Amino acid sequence: MKLLLVQITRNRQGQAARAAQPLDIDVLRVGRGTDCKLHLADPRVALHHATIGRSGDGECFIEAEAGGIQINGQFERAARLKPGQRIKVGPFELVVMDKPPDHDLALSVELIEPLEDDAGNRQGRRGGRLRTSLRNTWLSKRLMSWSGAAIILAAFLIWPVMNAINPGAHKGPLQVPLQTTLQAGVTADAAWDPGPLSSGHHSFGRDCAQCHATPFVRTQNAQCESCHKAIGWHFARNTAAQQALHDAVFMQSADASRCASCHRDHKGPLGLVRQDSPLCTQCHADLKSRHPQTLLPNVADFVRDHPPFKLSMLVPDKKGSEAIVRIPQDDKVQLKEDSHLKFPHDVHLLKKGIRGPNGRIVMECKNCHVPDETGTRFKATTMQEHCQDCHSLEFEPKAGTRQVPHGDVEAALATIREFYAQAVLADTPIDVVVQDGIRRPGERIGSAKRQSALSWATQKADKISRELMEDRVCFICHQITRSENAQTKTPSWKIEPIAITQHWLPKARFPHNQHATRECSSCHKVEQSKSSSDVAIPDIDNCRECHGGNATAADKAPGTCQTCHGFHVGGSRSGTPVQLPGQLPYDPKDARQKAARNDLR
Amino acid sequence: MPPFVAYVKADTLHKIVPSGPLARWRQRAPLGIQKKNSKKTDGAAVANSAQNTAIRYVPRQHGIVAHRCGKNTEPALFVAGDIGRGMQHRTFLEYRRYRYLKVAALLVLVSIIGYSAYGSPVGRYGGTPMGYILGTLGALLIAGLMWLGVQKRRYRANAGGLRGWVSAHIYLGISLIVIATLHAGFQIGWNVHTLAYMLMIAVIISGFFGVYAYLRFPSLMTENMGEDTLDGLLLKIADVDRELRRVALDLPDDFVKCVDASARATRIGGGVLAQLRPRPKNCPTLRAAEFIQAGGKNLNGKAQQRNHDLYSLMLRKQKLVNRARDDVRFKAMLDLWLYAHVPLSFALLAALLAHIISVFFYW
Repeated sequence: MKLLLVQITRNRQGQAARAAQPLDIDVLRVGRGTDCKLHLADPRVALHHATIGRSGDGECFIEAEAGGIQINGQFERAARLKPGQRIKVGPFELVVMDKPPDHDLALSVELIEPLEDDAGNRQGRRGGRLRTSLRNTWLSKRLMSWSGAAIILAAFLIWPVMNAINPGAHKGPLQVPLQTTLQAGVTADAAWDPGPLSSGHHSFGRDCAQCHATPFVRTQNAQCESCHKAIGWHFARNTAAQQALHDAVFMQSADASRCASCHRDHKGPLGLVRQDSPLCTQCHADLKSRHPQTLLPNVADFVRDHPPFKLSMLVPDKKGSEAIVRIPQDDKVQLKEDSHLKFPHDVHLLKKGIRGPNGRIVMECKNCHVPDETGTRFKATTMQEHCQDCHSLEFEPKAGTRQVPHGDVEAALATIREFYAQAVLADTPIDVVVQDGIRRPGERIGSAKRQSALSWATQKADKISRELMEDRVCFICHQITRSENAQTKTPSWKIEPIAITQHWLPKARFPHNQHATRECSSCHKVEQSKSSSDVAIPDIDNCRECHGGNATAADKAPGTCQTCHGFHVGGSRSGTPVQLPGQLPYDPKDARQKAARNDLR
Repeated sequence: MPPFVAYVKADTLHKIVPSGPLARWRQRAPLGIQKKNSKKTDGAAVANSAQNTAIRYVPRQHGIVAHRCGKNTEPALFVAGDIGRGMQHRTFLEYRRYRYLKVAALLVLVSIIGYSAYGSPVGRYGGTPMGYILGTLGALLIAGLMWLGVQKRRYRANAGGLRGWVSAHIYLGISLIVIATLHAGFQIGWNVHTLAYMLMIAVIISGFFGVYAYLRFPSLMTENMGEDTLDGLLLKIADVDRELRRVALDLPDDFVKCVDASARATRIGGGVLAQLRPRPKNCPTLRAAEFIQAGGKNLNGKAQQRNHDLYSLMLRKQKLVNRARDDVRFKAMLDLWLYAHVPLSFALLAALLAHIISVFFYW
């Protein structure tokens, strides 16, 4: 078989160049294998793709071997070759040409579907894009940055600000989510809350505007005073001088007069009240140079330079009224309480006990000193509750439990007189001796007898009254002054009013209940006290045994100014009169003292 | 190689003997050491070559020593030529002998002293005068550190300048942990204030990954790539692919198929996980190599020789592909932390703004 192969190659402009190659072979192997005469070097062609040969009748044919062939677009296994046929072998096109003379076959060969130029360079590509950097992936710094910042700004800035400017007036698409979150207890500015409110302010909940009334303006006193109407000044402002001092101290700057400059909230349940000494000592450490007229000493530290306590003692004067006098505790001479009551603690607290109505009893402090409702201090001790069980006011042994009333001398004397008059005149089974004979039952006594009986009763009553007042009952506890009518020589008695000091340290607070673990006697040394004039209030050194100063030592309880003292002690803003520091006159309106006096009379 | 000239300060010579990756250059010819021109302000004391035989040729790509010795702020050695007073051998951490470490340490120290010394009766927190000072300092630092992003885009040829920025960024950023914690007074809660703090901590932690990445991966990349670039590698792979196809033509179809699959389906890079994965499973190139190796036993003669050629070509491709993948992976690791660092930074900026405004809105 003689055939002519024409290789067609095209340049970039598409112009064809032909190279003809005559062959004389029996069979033309077509394939990419090197043993193929028609060598089609392309991976899409099989090693031995097809065979072209000549049949017995002289016709040329093509037969597919390992690969498929298309003839004029139709897949065929084999076909006779006719001029004009287009045979597709992989990416190659073979065209059967008119055979030249003395040739059996003429074929043109052209690569019509070349491999792309970068066919070998597709690694890492998808959709033609090479992705060898994170920048080519879905990760986007820009998108993440903008969206993250936008979400945070929207949730934590814009929404709360909108809500604060116009609470409850959300219209439009935000309305539903806002309402939902409000119902769920999450409010717009919840995320702004820097910490838990103090216990008292917890009831405000999330209503920030209760205190933060104006944006970008610090909380003003008006917000505080709308509730705390009666809070006291630090000291009174009754005189022009006091007012001037107040202005100099508390009005020097806008911040100095602001409640919130001391009271910072959002510091937890107990965080609102300052407990630090510098709050006080910034002035009180050198008070005398700031305010020369002051009666107060300079104090910088409880341990170092706090002066001895000044006790506020109730002092009765001769006219029968009382005054409260402040006496330094180290002034032992003045510090004698003249309460007009005879009460030796030592006798009452004898370890072996004392005689009571039902035998010996060992008394304890709590028998008489009963904590009041607050637990901080004690109820007033009263005759009826605490003394009378033992100190009975019986006046007539034969009359059993009959007692005179307590608290009123005239009433007591009248009771005695009436008792004996009754005894002598009525039909009482009492063993009275009538001066001139025995009264018989049913006998009506006459005027003379009546006079006689009354005389007896009066004498008896006078005798008993004198005994009670001067020898046995009243005299035991009370200071009694006897006087006699110049003409009638009738005696009368005056019981000095009891003036027991109820509040020795009114400028400090001492919660007894917080010290309940201690024995009473560890502070109040009364076992050896023989007289009620002894003052058993513990002194400052006693407190210092446990309490440290400004710098609380490891083994001491706190001892800052506020441990005992308050700041707002100078009378309320609502105008209650107050006293100057250092002078605390007797306050007749002090209900506690009043009650105590009434009880003890 | 161009001649290098070193100006050496004799008494500090021991400090500048190359070590580590430079050590292998020590056996080269001695460096010519020139007398110092006294008018030159750059140079240090003169040393002669006899005294300084330890000074060797230093290849450029390893960076050139510019030691600062003792109190002398001038470099004791620098290399002439277009490198100038390079500082490449120093990492950004050691920039100017830890200048910004010192600055940051000073800031931290001052903050701690201020925090300890100026307490407030109402406690130590952001609302006290010292709290405001520390907060302002922290906010300014955050704003300043974020300026690095702007500065980086302005980067032209000022390598030293950018290095300084990075060094400052790292040390001052770390100092923020202390400053912001003191500003907060150790108080945390469920609020925007703690959100800002936590975001800042997250930014700093992601920054630590960045420092690690910058210290580790560039050298790995250099080691991996040498003089090559990723584009160059891909071109080389394309060349090998062409060669593989050509050689495979003489072999049975299965060989052509696997070569083709290797050429078409081998993935370099790709999605996030693909870029971070050391070696993809089922890599067509690996499979092709295995197939070619196994299939060669059934061939003989010329085909076996062809198969052998194909196999060595495929191994070559495999090496190239692995290097390219490593490069992509290292670059991804080098970049990945930034995809946390940058968005977190902007979230921090937003939270910081909300924090500051909210604090003064409800003053």
